[in-house]
Amino acid sequence: MKVNHLIILILMVNLGLAQEVKFEKVSKEMLEEKFYVKDSSASAVVLARKVRIYYDYKQKSGFQVIRSVKERIKIYNKSGFGYATIKERLYKGSGAKESIGSLKGNTYNLENGQIVKSKIKGSEIFVSSLSKYRNEEKFTMPNVKEGSILEYEYRITSPYAYYIDEIPFQYYIPIQEEEVSVSIPEYFNFKTAVRGYLPVSPVISSKSAKISFTSKSRANQGLPVSEGNNSNTMYYTINTSTFYMKDVPALQRELYVNNMNNYRSAIKYELQFVKYPNSPPEEYATTWEKVIKKIYKNQNFGNQIEATRFLREDVQSIINGMVDNQQKTKAIFQHVQNRMSWNGIYGKYSNKGVKNAYKDKTGNVGDINLLLVAMLKEAGLNANPVLVSTRNHGVPLFPTREGFNYVVASVEEGDQIILLDACNKYTNVNLLPTKALNWFGRVVYEDGASEKISMFPKTNSKQMSMMNVNLKPNGDIDGKLRKNYTGQNAYLYRNSYNQIDQESYLEKVENDHGGMEISNYAVKNKTDLSKPIVESYDFYLESQAEVINDKIYFSPMFFDTEKENPFKLDKRDYPIDFAHPWQRRYIVNIAIPDGYEVISLPENLIMTLPENLGAFSYKLGKRGNTLQLKTDIQFNTAIIAPQDYAGVKELYKKMIEKETEKVVLSKI
Amino acid sequence: MRFLTFSLLLLSIHFSFSQDFNFSAIPKELLNNSNAVYRWDEIAVKVNSIDKMEYTIKKVVTVLNKHGNRHAYLGKYFDEQTKITNIGAVIYDSFGNKIDQIKKNDFSTRSAVDGFSLYLDDKLMYYNYTPIQYPYTIEFECQIETSDTGAVPQWYFLSGYLTSVEYSKYTITYPSKKFRPNIKEKNLDGFELLKTEKFNNITYEARNIQSIKKEELCPSFNEIAPILSVRLPEFSFKGIQAKVNSWKEMGDWINEELLKGRLELSQGTVETAKSLVRDIDDDLEKAKIIYSYVQDNTRYISVQVGIGGFQPISAIEVDKVKYGDCKGLSNYTRALLSAVEVESYYVHVEAGDEKIDFEDDFPDLLQGNHAIVAIPYKGQYYWIDCTSQVHPFGFLGDFTDGRKVLVVKPNESELVTTTSYLNSENLKRTSAKVNLDSLGGLEGTVSVQTQGIKYDQHFYLEGKTKKQVADYYKNYWGNVNNLQLESYSFENDRDSIVFKEKLNIEASNYANKSGERLLFGINPFNKNRSLPKRYRKRNSPFVIQRGFLDEAEFEIKLPEGFDIEAIPQSLHIENEFGTYKVSVEELENANTLLYKRYFLVKHGKFPKEKYKTYREFQKEVLKMDNAQVVLVKTKTN
Repeated sequence: MKVNHLIILILMVNLGLAQEVKFEKVSKEMLEEKFYVKDSSASAVVLARKVRIYYDYKQKSGFQVIRSVKERIKIYNKSGFGYATIKERLYKGSGAKESIGSLKGNTYNLENGQIVKSKIKGSEIFVSSLSKYRNEEKFTMPNVKEGSILEYEYRITSPYAYYIDEIPFQYYIPIQEEEVSVSIPEYFNFKTAVRGYLPVSPVISSKSAKISFTSKSRANQGLPVSEGNNSNTMYYTINTSTFYMKDVPALQRELYVNNMNNYRSAIKYELQFVKYPNSPPEEYATTWEKVIKKIYKNQNFGNQIEATRFLREDVQSIINGMVDNQQKTKAIFQHVQNRMSWNGIYGKYSNKGVKNAYKDKTGNVGDINLLLVAMLKEAGLNANPVLVSTRNHGVPLFPTREGFNYVVASVEEGDQIILLDACNKYTNVNLLPTKALNWFGRVVYEDGASEKISMFPKTNSKQMSMMNVNLKPNGDIDGKLRKNYTGQNAYLYRNSYNQIDQESYLEKVENDHGGMEISNYAVKNKTDLSKPIVESYDFYLESQAEVINDKIYFSPMFFDTEKENPFKLDKRDYPIDFAHPWQRRYIVNIAIPDGYEVISLPENLIMTLPENLGAFSYKLGKRGNTLQLKTDIQFNTAIIAPQDYAGVKELYKKMIEKETEKVVLSKI
Repeated sequence: MRFLTFSLLLLSIHFSFSQDFNFSAIPKELLNNSNAVYRWDEIAVKVNSIDKMEYTIKKVVTVLNKHGNRHAYLGKYFDEQTKITNIGAVIYDSFGNKIDQIKKNDFSTRSAVDGFSLYLDDKLMYYNYTPIQYPYTIEFECQIETSDTGAVPQWYFLSGYLTSVEYSKYTITYPSKKFRPNIKEKNLDGFELLKTEKFNNITYEARNIQSIKKEELCPSFNEIAPILSVRLPEFSFKGIQAKVNSWKEMGDWINEELLKGRLELSQGTVETAKSLVRDIDDDLEKAKIIYSYVQDNTRYISVQVGIGGFQPISAIEVDKVKYGDCKGLSNYTRALLSAVEVESYYVHVEAGDEKIDFEDDFPDLLQGNHAIVAIPYKGQYYWIDCTSQVHPFGFLGDFTDGRKVLVVKPNESELVTTTSYLNSENLKRTSAKVNLDSLGGLEGTVSVQTQGIKYDQHFYLEGKTKKQVADYYKNYWGNVNNLQLESYSFENDRDSIVFKEKLNIEASNYANKSGERLLFGINPFNKNRSLPKRYRKRNSPFVIQRGFLDEAEFEIKLPEGFDIEAIPQSLHIENEFGTYKVSVEELENANTLLYKRYFLVKHGKFPKEKYKTYREFQKEVLKMDNAQVVLVKTKTN
């Protein structure tokens, strides 16, 4: 629960007067400015930004959504030139498409002490087709140099009145002042959610408006028309939310963040219902129950898991003779996993219908995992789909159909719930692909009811190494190594290396370890997904200890010593996202060369973070001519909150200090 | 004549594969190191007239694993001049049974994307096929009609690394002797190859080509793979006709058809240019001023439409918007130079950090991908890249250095080699004065001075933000843990092309403690950090393209209360790859160590047998660079 608060803020409504962004005349001082005082590292800054979203009624086509954008950007140096090119990804459907219109703009420069304006032509827009459904439209400002101020405005008209794109409040450069207003006719009821760390509060206002009809026809969006007239008028209210923000800092990229957009300050609108006068409301989404019901009712979702008859024969032959539900679950999962090949396309809905997908042996995520649910149900198991938002897709903020882009299967057995994804050849029962490990999913039940479920695995993905090392008097080492990978580590291993020939893989391992020479390599369970990956080999590696005069110095973890702290920042604004809890353990037995004795050993260390978040331990002991090192690092949760960052950083620092510490041997 | 053409046409359409698509029919040796096997790979080109050409592509590829999928990609680029008249594919399982068929209507079309252009007018017709099993086989066929006879398809008998070929065939048919193509055969030695020539038809066939593996430092694929380059002496390109038999003629054509009339500027701009160089007589000085004006006032934006892929946008257009691609900016710079009466030439070049020459005896438009400008001055050329806003005048860096390029001069176009940066010209000098404290912390000043290609790798730091600079050093000196950049300053001498970095740094725990002792690397700031990869069996020769020289001198003051237990020894290695010299001495009465390092690597091409020795040399260097000093607490009695 705690994690939710990390990224979602509650929207506070302000009933005061909206502040307004004014585009004052571009002055010499503005053009002469060499860097941004509030953030000297900024290559460019948005001086002013005004975005208006509003509805326009066209008698022929009904309501359209219009987004008008006006921005003024100061470019400080060449790294900021990218901000002089504006790109919009736009939707096109059959017949209707979105496009950039009414482009106007100027670049301001200071030339010989004079302000010089260069105009962009409205015709200088390039349209590329990205796919059947997407166009990209771009334009670039003329005469851009260091110091330039750019100002442009344009409008995007969209025939998709039910959809308002997410509106960002924050860029990778600072924004000095911005105003975003969203005006919506009373007929449309949207729910909003705000993300990011910045406080955002809209000012709400309303005004009345009217639509005049010039003929007797009935408008296609259900607006009523009084009879017998050539001219009719409809009065309605427009509700406006205005967001005003000042000094919005640049969004900063950090390590171990899965998707920066989860932390970008932005607002999202989701349609709840449409209600025209004298007609019943058309519900879209209001609560999780309703959103999920809507998804479930979609013929590419619910129907797909209900009509399972065509699978009966196959299912019966798969589970023939099985009594145990877990056994049945596994058998059906493996059948679907082996039979189906994912076509690389995401989606919670079935694309071609599970029946066709089953026949073709390929399909999108919806096709494959809904098929899996259908088969599990046909086998009499308590199976249901689970809606997921992948890591790249971000975190679903509030009940919304677009919030989910992926679906997996679940089976409930007593108080246990098992998650399954058959789109990858190396997933397993309760082992999902890394991309699906993102906050919460929703289990969808037959009646459309749903329940929240954490997508983060509860068990640590482990890597365990066991190494026997013979240290030579010249500093070289040879020995045997055995490594186990479980959970996500095994999944990643199989995805990365199962299809590479062994020789190339070994060359990679050898080179990753500074030219190690490997022999007697063996790997077990590459395809037996129920067991961990076990690698073992003999190795020889030069220069792993310093031999100086009659002494030998070495770090007892040798080539696997962690040398650099990935956490370098003093403070962190975003949580650390490891995707899954993990653990790495080493046992190293070192035979010290004959004729040497230990004169110095690093001390043992145990360090734990509060609330069992993570721990590091280092134990080094000596028995006869052998040293034994045991180290263990673990993080028991996938997500670590920013307030716990300092502890993690310190743990890593201590670990690196410890692991790089040297054992000293001396000639007897 | 008519009959012959007709029968050839029949042949090309009703071509049939009398072939077994069964996976098990692939010879064993073709499966080694392969992700895909081209069972059949064929292109039949038919030139009909100077502006009519058609060709048919047929390939049968068995994909062995997911890494081979790109060889089964079902797609073809096209443009205004090119029409895809037919396209389709059939998919087979590993036994050769048909499992899917994809017809022309199933293909989609989208805009081409090259990753750096704002806009391209090329389009792509494609179908995304999802393999449902491995291995699988695709049979792909595609027919093209085009008026661009200036772009006759080249032929790669081998389509890339880690793929092998069972059968490959190139055919070109032409209407008359006048159209007999020039064909340049590259790296064909050692392959099983058959060439047949009839009076209007040339055919190449190859069988059983094994796969090649990419290895570190190996020559470019184009230098080792069997390739045919094909050109027509008379051709049409984007609607413009040409007759070209030498680079001189190619230059003339570019000059006449692509560049002519593009240099004009408005009177105002001409005046501006003149006023910039007022009172300056020397042409080189003038050129420097104009180049810096272009750098300060323009930026690189690539828009490629039609002939615009080869012809620059006019100078007047670039002047209006102050952006353009390499051709447009080069042409614009030439226009400004011409306004101030400085001679300059348009230069066509193949850019990239791998040096690729234009081929002396094979004038072909498709060899270059970039444009720069040459300024003749006192018997030599000064080269400038107008797409860079930061490079000094006359400095090309590793993007276009040391390679044969086409200098387009009226009636005297020729291939010329650009400036090379070799061996000690690529100099990096690192010096440091640092103090080590008793806890192992390091603090002091470091300076880095770079020239040549090393300059190219360092000088861009100047344009980075403070945070980026700090991150850069943390990574650049990743061997120094906990590195903190306290302050820094840069000095960029654009005239002599030297970049100087001066830094104050601090690093806690630089030295490792072990009991009474402190251990630390003698060389914190100029270390060889990685080795060339080790190969169980090296197959290709290796190339060191440019070479370099690193010089370092560090003074390290030791903490009070410690004695030196051990210091690294001096070493001097000299061999055909270069020189490595290190020494450490104790400065008297100063409790200070003086470390000196000299590391020269020479450019050259070496046979595969020497790779191991080269790696040994690098390993020795790495080892010495890691050498440790041991201090021990002074015993107090």
